[in-house]
Amino acid sequence: MAQVPPLPIGPAGVPGAVPDQLSVETTVQQERDLTRPGAKADEFGGAPELGFWRLAVIRFLHHRVATGALIILGIIVLSAIVVPIITGDLYRVQDYRHPFKPPFQNLQHLLGTDDLGRDELARLLRGARVSIMVGVLAVVGYLLIGGTLGALAGYYGGWLDNALMRFTDIIISAPFLLVVIAVTAATGGVRLTTVIIVIAATGWYEIGRLMRAQFLVLREQEFVQAARALGASNARIIVRHVLPNALAPIIVSATLGVSGIILLEAALGFLGYSIPPPEPSWGNMLQNFEQYLLDDQAYLVVFPATALVITALCINLVGDGIRDALDPRQR
Amino acid sequence: MTFYVIRRVAIGIFLLFVMSAMFFTLTRVTPGAPISVGENPRIHQSVINLRLHRLGLTDEQGNSYPIPQQYVLYLGALLHGDLGDSYVNNEKVTTLLLQRLPNSILLLGAALLVALAIGIPLGIFAATRQYSKLDITTSLVSYIGVSIPSFVLGIYLLLIFGVILKQSPLHWGFPLFGMHTGGVDDPIDLLYHMVLPVTSLAILQIAIFSRFMRASMLEVLHQDYIRTARAKGLSIEKVNYKHALRNAILPIITLVAIAIPQIVNGAIITEGIFSWPGTGQLAFQAVVTRDYPVILGVVMLVAAGTVLFNLIADLTYAIADPRIRY
Repeated sequence: MAQVPPLPIGPAGVPGAVPDQLSVETTVQQERDLTRPGAKADEFGGAPELGFWRLAVIRFLHHRVATGALIILGIIVLSAIVVPIITGDLYRVQDYRHPFKPPFQNLQHLLGTDDLGRDELARLLRGARVSIMVGVLAVVGYLLIGGTLGALAGYYGGWLDNALMRFTDIIISAPFLLVVIAVTAATGGVRLTTVIIVIAATGWYEIGRLMRAQFLVLREQEFVQAARALGASNARIIVRHVLPNALAPIIVSATLGVSGIILLEAALGFLGYSIPPPEPSWGNMLQNFEQYLLDDQAYLVVFPATALVITALCINLVGDGIRDALDPRQR
Repeated sequence: MTFYVIRRVAIGIFLLFVMSAMFFTLTRVTPGAPISVGENPRIHQSVINLRLHRLGLTDEQGNSYPIPQQYVLYLGALLHGDLGDSYVNNEKVTTLLLQRLPNSILLLGAALLVALAIGIPLGIFAATRQYSKLDITTSLVSYIGVSIPSFVLGIYLLLIFGVILKQSPLHWGFPLFGMHTGGVDDPIDLLYHMVLPVTSLAILQIAIFSRFMRASMLEVLHQDYIRTARAKGLSIEKVNYKHALRNAILPIITLVAIAIPQIVNGAIITEGIFSWPGTGQLAFQAVVTRDYPVILGVVMLVAAGTVLFNLIADLTYAIADPRIRY
């Protein structure tokens, strides 16, 4: 690898970042081996030009653990979306003659049945739906609220910046679980929409702070000054110039946020403050754990708990994979 | 420095003020009469009126005050150390909190100490042996640690040590439930009951501490003065444990302050699961029975504790690291 030809700088306007990444020898090699259509060879006949995001995808796919986690996560998400459509109401059909059927005994109830004779597998998948939906929607809320406020606070500073920091101080010093519970209770009754909105409204501060930090650094850089000198408006500078460069850590934080929310939703469901029965969620399926543990029905505890842990673990692994892929210098 | 402390205390009081106003309004706009939950239906109206009055909701005749006025009354009572009455237990919230606070401090303190005692050395060893088997195992364990919420871990531990091992031929395991009535008088028995709840609270913090310590140590180890120390012939041990460790361990002070609300959050459910008679269990029961004055009391207590610990952490940091000036 001694005679690496002079490398072209990628087309994406990522100042400073691209040359560093291309200096990673393995990446260069992988890049060379690629003969994808549309990747045009440069005048030196060497590496095809690849954008920042495409390089990130390649680096992610070379991270075996993260890719494996992504595949498992994909299977969980797909079956959570597809299977409940096929099985329909199975998750709440009660069969009083066959409660507490042990798992792995027959194909009709592969994971057994619960105290009311409802199919455990159908309930688990339905619960997966709830968890994933809450996780994704609340993170979208984080991004909308935290992203917008953080960007504005970082770019303009002033009172908005102060207000953001004080709000964060308040939220950090309160026990988050109790905050969510109090707000959920105050907004009248426990509904899934309420839970999602409350989580989004109280949890966005981390992404807000991250976005603010990114904007604080980026707004002082030359390319922003250049854009301003060329007459770009503030809105254009924020959306077209600063935002694309601020995205990488936000994406990582949002991914890890999904697993945090899924665990929070499970804790809320466990306390009876998430989706009400008969709808299952992994949290409220654990509610009667004492009875199940003492009566030798541990499988009713183990399945939802394990589903929860596997999902959170996979999301965290994918998040870390994305972090490594987006910022190879951090490794 | 003095000015900094005064400013921080002022901000802390302001935060508590805002939080009390926020939570007070929340608990007051929550639908449902405040004393209807779990109340004896034959209770006399005069008792209800008296209690509503003592909660600061009404005057002596039973006419309710507007919410801002209720809040002012609540604040007045708060300044006298009175957090109101529990809806469910027919007792003052402060009495309930004080009864249970020592138990919680015992449990949380033990969890924090265990987490520090295991997490920090683990992080140091992982960093000084980067990419070794120990390093990889540590990061694997810390991955799993941050992905298991403490209540799920608690349930797993109960299942393994409280049920499966006890029913196995070994007949050995840990008790399913918290403190015995003997309380703190029998240290051995107490310790025996603490093992499972402390473990389930400490794992997450072990994961966080070891990860952080590893990163912090690695950062310091790559600095120039470490290379200088090695170049002038000092042994690896001396450089690692005297020069690097001292600087790498400083940020842990801040991390401990951050960890406290996290442990408290975990304790709310963990104490409930293990029937540990602490403030967390109180909050757990209050949440299940929707006993809002108690929830409000716990929130205020935790918030005050967090503000205090953050201040202590910052001041300790300033003493430990002379480069920091406020």
